[in-house]
Amino acid sequence: MLRVEGITVRFGGVVALNEVSASFTAPVSGIIGPNGAGKTTLMNVMSGFLTPVSGQITMEGQDLLRLPPHRRAHWGLRRSFQREEIADDLSVFDNVLVQTDHSRTPSGEKRREVARMLDLVGLGAMAERMGADLNTFERRLTDVAKCLVGQPKVILFDEPAGGLSVEETHRLGALIKAIPGESGAKVLVIDHDVDLIREICAETLVLDFGRRIAFGPTDAVLADPRVKAAYLGTEEVGA
Amino acid sequence: MDPRLFRITPSGGWGLALAALAFVFLPMVSTSYWLSVFTSAACFTLALAGVAFMYARLGMVSLTQVGLMGVGGWVALRLNHAYDFPFEVNLILAATVTMICGWLLALPALRMRGLYLALVTLMAAGGLEIVFATFQFPNGGEGFWGVQTGSGEAFRRPWLAQSPENYLRYVIVCAVLGFLLIELHRRLQPGRAWALIRRSEAAAIAAGVNVTLYKTWAFGISGLLGGAAGALLAGSLGLLDDGTFRASESVMLFALAVVGGARHWLGVVIAAALYKVLPALLNLWGVDADLAFVIFGAGLLHAVITAPDGIAGQILGALRKKGGRNAAG
Repeated sequence: MLRVEGITVRFGGVVALNEVSASFTAPVSGIIGPNGAGKTTLMNVMSGFLTPVSGQITMEGQDLLRLPPHRRAHWGLRRSFQREEIADDLSVFDNVLVQTDHSRTPSGEKRREVARMLDLVGLGAMAERMGADLNTFERRLTDVAKCLVGQPKVILFDEPAGGLSVEETHRLGALIKAIPGESGAKVLVIDHDVDLIREICAETLVLDFGRRIAFGPTDAVLADPRVKAAYLGTEEVGA
Repeated sequence: MDPRLFRITPSGGWGLALAALAFVFLPMVSTSYWLSVFTSAACFTLALAGVAFMYARLGMVSLTQVGLMGVGGWVALRLNHAYDFPFEVNLILAATVTMICGWLLALPALRMRGLYLALVTLMAAGGLEIVFATFQFPNGGEGFWGVQTGSGEAFRRPWLAQSPENYLRYVIVCAVLGFLLIELHRRLQPGRAWALIRRSEAAAIAAGVNVTLYKTWAFGISGLLGGAAGALLAGSLGLLDDGTFRASESVMLFALAVVGGARHWLGVVIAAALYKVLPALLNLWGVDADLAFVIFGAGLLHAVITAPDGIAGQILGALRKKGGRNAAG
């Protein structure tokens, strides 16, 4: 279980996250909310790019906030960004291999794992292609493969479907849904595509203005009037 | 072990072939004037490789390289006059000391990027310029600084390279080893980490890369190459002059790395030729060597506006186009 307890983040006078708590138990969980709700801020706290004023994030007895950012990756935290961060002058294979470089696993074993994960995401045949030669979807798939190697424990996807077509989003959704079965990792997904969240996430946290306004099974959360109000405004919901 | 580690790429093959040709023929056809010019150019090729590596692999601008060369040269001269070590030992120690200086330089620079990093390195170069101007370079004198008035003692060259011709060959081999060291890093874990750091430091951290370690490592390699270049220059000239290691020369070296093309070995060689061979040619033709600065300025404007990969990028692009047309024909 990934437990987020009382996380508060302030930027000067602005409270970006206000005592946010949630215990994620489902294999794939979602975080949604309007722009500026604090979704990416929460992911940045989990990744170590932001230090909260207060709160705790724990999993398997490990307090993640005690680890420096790169050590969280060594522990098993994976993160993909809104813009897929693939090095243009590395091959697809090397872009994924870099995620395992810190581990003491024998080199041959690491390379076999990278090859296996590239096959899983459908990029096995493109392993030697350079990052600069990939389209947006291939870059995103490389990012996913990068998150899968090195025995991940938690994978954070920040708007993974941004810029993708409907078909590509569907394929990506199926892939993300299969991750817990393939790797045993827990997955957290931020996205504005509510259909994608409904399709792949068993439970969802909804944030608005830095506060938790709903958390629970995705269908129930999406039917919550407060969630509809946050997305559509109170007048539209009332009408 | 990864079989790709020792694979020779077509570009690498051309580089090694050019180096082999230079090794065999350049000393044979050069007069003593040109031997001195080419040896100096080969030393600066090694220093330029360090600057270009920092810029191309990490996007970091280092404006201290000529100052670091001075450190390497100072250590090599000091060791040469103080002990009876072979040249190679002095060379390795000078490169190691300069690598440590590179690490020290990295400490304040690690939290800075872009213009601010460039300014910090420029300030370091300015500091080194003052130290060299104040204390001069060792020439066999007494005390820590080892400076005496009048002509100093002779500098011992490598046993293998006593003559100017062989010394040029020796420096060419060292420059090739410098390029190979960079290429080896590029193909291993540090190269992958640097590529990701250049793309985004946040992404690198998220991938478990220790950004501080790898940035410091890069400064160390650049310092090592600069120090080795300085020691080799000391071996070439026998004694060094503080005027060679002014901060402005470091700026010039970086600018020429951009003009030549920092991402490719050919760009580094072009930059070294522009820096050392072009002024020598102008001198020979009776033209004021300062005209080179005008040419460098025009080259820099050209690179900034139309050729981000420098002259080497343009040459390689033209060759690729020609190759593509021939294949289509």
